[in-house]
Amino acid sequence: MGCGMGKSRIQPNKCDRVSISVPAATAIRAALLIQRWYRQYVARLEMRRRCTWNIFQSIEYAGEQDQIKLYHFFGFLMDHFTPASSERNLISHIFRENEVCRDADWERYFCYKDIEVPDSYCGPHLTFPMTFCGVSKLMEAFKLKQQLHARYVLQILGETWRLLRILPNINHVSVCHTKEITICGDLHGQLEDLLLIFYKNGLPSCEKPYVFNGDFVDRGKNSLEILLILFGFLLVYPNEVHLNRGNHEDHIVNLRYGFTKEVLGKYRVHGKKILKLLQKIFSWLPLATVINHKVLVVHGGISDSTDLDMVARMDRHRYVSVLRPPKAIRPTLNGNKAGSGKDEDASGPAEGRRRRVRSLTNTSAPGQRNNIPRRSLHNLPTGGAQLNCSVEDELKERRRLAGFDQTYREVKTLDSDSDPEFGEPTETHGHEWKQIVNLLWSDPMPQNGCISNEVRGGGCYWGPDVTEEVLGKHNLQLLIRSHECKQDGYEFCHNRRVLTIFSASNYYEVGSNRGAYIRMGHDLVPHFIQYQASRTCRELTLRQSVGWTERSALRALRQQLFVHKSDLVGAFQEFDPNNTGVISLRHWATATERVLKLGLPWRVLRPQLINRAQHGMVDYQQWIRELSITEPKPEVSDTSIMETMYKNHSNLETIFRIIDTDHSGLISFEEFRQTWKLLSSHLKMEISDKAITDLAQSMDFNKDGSIDINEFMEAFRLVDLSTHA
Amino acid sequence: MAPKKDPKAPAKKAEPAPAPAPAPEPAPAPAAAPAIDLSSVKHLGDDILFSLHSTDYREAFGLFDRVGDNKVAYNQIADIMRALGQNPTNKEVSKLLGNPTPEDMANKRVEFEGFLPMLQTIINSPNKAGFEDYVEGLRVFDKEGNGTVMGAELRIVLSTLGEKMNETEIDALMAGQEDENGCINYEAFVKHIMSV
Repeated sequence: MGCGMGKSRIQPNKCDRVSISVPAATAIRAALLIQRWYRQYVARLEMRRRCTWNIFQSIEYAGEQDQIKLYHFFGFLMDHFTPASSERNLISHIFRENEVCRDADWERYFCYKDIEVPDSYCGPHLTFPMTFCGVSKLMEAFKLKQQLHARYVLQILGETWRLLRILPNINHVSVCHTKEITICGDLHGQLEDLLLIFYKNGLPSCEKPYVFNGDFVDRGKNSLEILLILFGFLLVYPNEVHLNRGNHEDHIVNLRYGFTKEVLGKYRVHGKKILKLLQKIFSWLPLATVINHKVLVVHGGISDSTDLDMVARMDRHRYVSVLRPPKAIRPTLNGNKAGSGKDEDASGPAEGRRRRVRSLTNTSAPGQRNNIPRRSLHNLPTGGAQLNCSVEDELKERRRLAGFDQTYREVKTLDSDSDPEFGEPTETHGHEWKQIVNLLWSDPMPQNGCISNEVRGGGCYWGPDVTEEVLGKHNLQLLIRSHECKQDGYEFCHNRRVLTIFSASNYYEVGSNRGAYIRMGHDLVPHFIQYQASRTCRELTLRQSVGWTERSALRALRQQLFVHKSDLVGAFQEFDPNNTGVISLRHWATATERVLKLGLPWRVLRPQLINRAQHGMVDYQQWIRELSITEPKPEVSDTSIMETMYKNHSNLETIFRIIDTDHSGLISFEEFRQTWKLLSSHLKMEISDKAITDLAQSMDFNKDGSIDINEFMEAFRLVDLSTHA
Repeated sequence: MAPKKDPKAPAKKAEPAPAPAPAPEPAPAPAAAPAIDLSSVKHLGDDILFSLHSTDYREAFGLFDRVGDNKVAYNQIADIMRALGQNPTNKEVSKLLGNPTPEDMANKRVEFEGFLPMLQTIINSPNKAGFEDYVEGLRVFDKEGNGTVMGAELRIVLSTLGEKMNETEIDALMAGQEDENGCINYEAFVKHIMSV
């Protein structure tokens, strides 16, 4: 056993010599038996596979929902910000805005010319303007796991930035009789998949146009390499290569999902500069592509308010991170708050968050928004001069900046990257921003209607009726989008009017799914090519592949269970009023879902999670104990801090990286301590100052008064020691 | 599609268990007539267990609902039953569904409450096969009586007789099973497959 699939084939000459050796009736009976039994085998595997898929998807979306929590936290900070509070420095540190500069200043900052390439560098050397040979050289180098020198990185990025600024918000592409266009979905840093696509389909060229539909970065470990290759081809074939922005082309999302870490890890000296330039590039990426005026390609999807004319007109680069409403939502010069758009049906995470935060901490109704003191994320002054300011000072700073903008507005050119003008109606910005959020974050749903996407924390869920309406309004016949992983790499929905294309194979785990890309000709009929990048998984039998992925999913699920230990015990005890220590399996399933809220089929999963259930009852204390995970290195006596640490793992990392503004990988003792204090008060936990100080001290592994973020996160990485892994 | 926690989908986990089964009765055979009247399906035999499991069945049913309307297509029914440990032939399922056309198989959908009695019928059906039956089924092809069958012969049988399997299915079934002479040790084969 264990040979790959597809190696045995019916060999014609063997068959000639073989005939059926038993009477027909017996043979038929035997055939039926075997066939039934084989089909049962396949069906059982399929059920396990779907279960596994559900686990991965729920955990992934729950992770994205964490982002809402993060922004709740920021909202909480905002509302508790007082100029006198001791955490003031930290908070202004967190919310420090980018300095406002002219393009010329940025160009100087990003200049690569002074960066020397040492003789010891053995990676590729690039010349500009970029050529096809140059990009090929780059690809070969990346295949050999070489790293491009920072000088060349900045050069490519600089050229890309310049090019993107002259591109429209919506790419319009024509496909004629002789050319087919190729459309790829999410790549998420998986270089193997991109190389496989190029291998199977050919490289971009004048005869071979491509559309890449966003999410090039995060999660995989070669996000930067993918970007450099895509940008390289964009520079060489600007009319044939089209890039759409995805929700992960966003520096705040990158802080959490690994791209920031990747860049800083690979480029210790110039990483910060590279990230800054990428931030600008991302904001300048086009938002959508339309093929032959008939096929709309966009990363997330649409909403019932999608208006492509508005999308085409806006200044897209204003929206640097889609997770924050635009800068222009700010007070008018006399300090009164202007409305931030009447987004009552909040489909953006920030809007919803602000309203929710208000209801937690203020008693004022939404209608009285104008009376609430302005405390949005963007109204904190920039730079280092804010240490002692009050609200008055904040406003003075605002005016100063407005004045600063005014002096060079005359010389501002069309492609300036400076701060957008003041005085424009803020409602427009609110609407535009909402358009972008919906384009980049939405998901289709089977039911009619359009509702806010609580699972992701951004965008909406839109139904088949909205598809018909929006496509009809714009005279389109098909919507191609990505954003969701699909088992077979692609999936139709909404009566085949919406097509999801996903190009990162083995996304959740080796063998979890295939990737796919679309080839489309003049007839605009999509053809699919599917693949799976890893050699290892192609050689696995179906059963081995399901098993592998399943084990991985169960490991991830056990981590989630471990992290919610106390809540689970509490929920179980509600079903065990007499404290017998056991509860029924039915109650176990109900309680677990109540705590984890992952929407998983717990009863189907039960045999994999509980190995000792007698007469339909489970000893829950013992079960919880058996969810064994390694203990972290530091000795921390307060177990509730530990649990909080695990639960808020990713958010903590994001916060720390925001605090670490010089990207040194270190934060100070005091910053760490203050962050914890703020977080615990937000989570309504009782944590004594001593406990926090002890924790901080134990985190300072080398006792130099600062905490290495990476070491800290390593210490709390969850590792599953359970014997059934 | 939207993940299962789609806000519009009704809560699937809070279903009450169906009414407890009446006391077991002596088991009559299911209707021999071509049309099966599902409304008269009696609860029999191992049915107490069945009631206890029906919430499990509902979860498994939900896993196969790709559309989100709490129903599954006719052409998925056989597979769901198999996933739940039953072993109907496609013909038996077709009969249960009233011998639908291929279009019906693809387009018609049934909800869980309609599915349950069908499942019950299959559970009640007497044609259950166990490990030994499968081994016997293969043993008929063991010409030399040495515990092996010829892979090639098996392929012809499976692809031309009964409810035919296609080449991909046969390849998947035989993956790694044939030795260098093209023979399969069938007892080990059956044990391996049944341990899923």
